[in-house]
Amino acid sequence: MAELAGAYAASHGPLLIREWEAIPRGEQQRLSNAFLELGRRIEQAKTDVIVAVAPDHWSNFSLDHVPSVCIGVGAVNEGPPEPWMKDFPHREIPGHPGLALHLAESAMKEGFEPSLSHRLKLDHGFCIPLWRMALRKLPLVVPVIVNSIEPPLPSLERCLEWGRLLRKAIESYEEKIRVAILGTGGLSHSIGEKTMGAIYEDFDHETIRLFGAGEKELLDYLNEQLPTHGNGSEEVRNWLVAHGAASGRGFELVDYLPVPTVIVGCGFAAWRCT
Amino acid sequence: MRDYWLSRMFFDLQSPAAAAEYRADRESFLAKYPLEEPVKAALRGNDVPFLAARTNPYLLRYYFFTAGMKDGEFIRRLRDG
Repeated sequence: MAELAGAYAASHGPLLIREWEAIPRGEQQRLSNAFLELGRRIEQAKTDVIVAVAPDHWSNFSLDHVPSVCIGVGAVNEGPPEPWMKDFPHREIPGHPGLALHLAESAMKEGFEPSLSHRLKLDHGFCIPLWRMALRKLPLVVPVIVNSIEPPLPSLERCLEWGRLLRKAIESYEEKIRVAILGTGGLSHSIGEKTMGAIYEDFDHETIRLFGAGEKELLDYLNEQLPTHGNGSEEVRNWLVAHGAASGRGFELVDYLPVPTVIVGCGFAAWRCT
Repeated sequence: MRDYWLSRMFFDLQSPAAAAEYRADRESFLAKYPLEEPVKAALRGNDVPFLAARTNPYLLRYYFFTAGMKDGEFIRRLRDG
C-alpha cells in the first residue's frame, strides 16, 4: 500500500524569483537553506510522489469557473506559464493519474466534490518551492488546487478535513509508493489591496505557535484574524491541508523570516507523519 | 463586485502575446472587450482605486505589472488614489 512519507509547507512569493538578487545576503541564505532543508527531507524520505497543494493564481481558471478544489488527474501537467518563471527546468511535469483518480474517487465517496483537470498549468505557487528545493530528481506531482484567491473561499475547517481525507486516500492506494504532501503559500502578505506590502509578524508568530498547539485554538484564531491580515495570508489553507494530513500533530518550524523585499512573511515547516 | 469583462481582459493579458499587443495598440485591444466607458477611462488614466473596486486584487496587480508600473508606484496609488 502507499504510505504518507511526509508533510511540508513553504512560501512561494513571486519576488523570491523576480527580486532574488535584491534580497539582503543574510535573508537570501536563510531562504535558500530552508528550501534546501525541505528538499533534503523529501529526498531522504525516498518520496515517489508529491501531492502539491497550492492556489491557482489565475493561470488556469478565469471568472468563468472558480473551483474551490481541483485535483490534477492528468499524466502530465504543464510548467509555469509566467514569463519570469521561464528558467524553471521543467516544461512538463509528470503526474500520477492512478493516485490522483484514487484521491478524487475517495473524495467523492466521502462527500467531497472536487473539480478535476486532466491538464493543469502549474504556476509559481507550485513551482517556486519545487525549484528552490533543488531536488535531484523531481518526484511525480499530483497537483491539488485550493482556492485562496477569489472569495468565497473554502472554510478553514474544510481544508483541514481535506488533509485528513488525502491521508486516508493515500494510505488506501494499492501501489507501494511513498507520497508527500506539500502545502505552499503564506504566511502573511497582502496583494493588490491597500495594505499591499504589509507583513504581519505577530500574526505569523501566533499562527506558527498554534500549529504546534491545538486544532480548535488554531482554527478559532485564524477564523478571527485572517480577514484583517492580508489576502495572501489566506494561503494558510494549504498549510492546514498538510496539518490535517499529519493528523494535526508533529508540526516543526523549519524557519520563519519576514522578508520585506519579497513582501511576504516567509515560512517553512515539516510535520512528523508516523 | 466583479466587472466580468475587465477581469477577463486582465486574465487574457497574462499571455505575453496579448500583453505585447496591448502595449503596441491599447485602443484596438480595448475595443475587443465590451468595457463600459468609465472603465476604459480608468484604464487610460491608471485609476488604480476605481479598477480595484471592480476586479480581483491579484488580477489588478498582474495588470499593472504587465503595464509596466513599478510595485512602489502601484502601492502608492492603491493607498492614495
